[in-house]
Amino acid sequence: MQEATFLILTALAAGTQHGYGIISDVAEISDGRVKLLAGTLYTALDRLREDGLIGVDREEIVDNRLRRYYRLTPEGEKRLAAEAARLQAHATAALRRLKLNLAGGVA
Amino acid sequence: MSEPELSSAAESASLERGYRRLLAFYPTAFRRENEEEILAVLLACAQDGQTRPSLEASVDLLKGAMRMRLRPRPGQPRTVFAAVRLMWLGAAAELAALITIIVTAGAVRSAVLHADPAAGHALLDHLVADVVGAPIAIGVWLFLAWANSKGRDSARLASAASFCLLTLSLVGALVQGAVAYAPADMIAAAVLWLVAVGAVVLIFVPASNRYYRPREAVLI
Repeated sequence: MQEATFLILTALAAGTQHGYGIISDVAEISDGRVKLLAGTLYTALDRLREDGLIGVDREEIVDNRLRRYYRLTPEGEKRLAAEAARLQAHATAALRRLKLNLAGGVA
Repeated sequence: MSEPELSSAAESASLERGYRRLLAFYPTAFRRENEEEILAVLLACAQDGQTRPSLEASVDLLKGAMRMRLRPRPGQPRTVFAAVRLMWLGAAAELAALITIIVTAGAVRSAVLHADPAAGHALLDHLVADVVGAPIAIGVWLFLAWANSKGRDSARLASAASFCLLTLSLVGALVQGAVAYAPADMIAAAVLWLVAVGAVVLIFVPASNRYYRPREAVLI
């Protein structure tokens, strides 16, 4: 799973969001490190919808513009949980080998 | 003197036109579904007074368009997708051959004319035929790639027919002894033929069959 995909799913894990909301949320989750651009976001959303990991929750018209809200599907939740567990296992292994104390930073 | 100031409505209209031009590179189905929404996001991300798409956003939109177009269509078997990619490869190889011929034509021509004027004229005819034929061949490869990726059954027949023509021309060149006088040409032709074999086999394997349906069957 690509980092952008992971972060988009993470943004949706808290609840439904529209495109612009996902962009700001991903920036917040990643501490401003990942700035999603529209092309990246919508090709990813299109793929995720096709794969059934996300769905359209509702559509609204705001200032004459279409605003679509996306939500995570149960399948999407499962995939995100599996990916998060995988990343966590890798991170734990890396930190253990670096002999860092995971229990609270006290060496 | 300062530039005449645009009203903010005119600015945003100009920016919107710029973004629509970039979105035109996306597949039609994707635009129908997403264009208005992407536009809303792009405009929401724009700076005050911005009248043209930023370079960063433009590059990202074009990359996305390419990604969308290189992706298999929904329901498209891997075999068909692989065949379509081979057809793009065929078109790219023809283009590379065409460029090589044009770039080296001058040097080849003077060398051959210098050594053997009679053979030189025959070679020139050959070069002209290549330069005229290559764009047609590129067009055929691209058309077949497009038609096969849409799952038209007639595309399979057209592919098989083109493959037969390609085989005949290769056999013809071999019979005329082209291996001796134009070995590089023949190697290029053989590689293209192998690409074509791969593509034709892939569109006729059982896994591809369900994707190709005659138009009538779809209507029923």
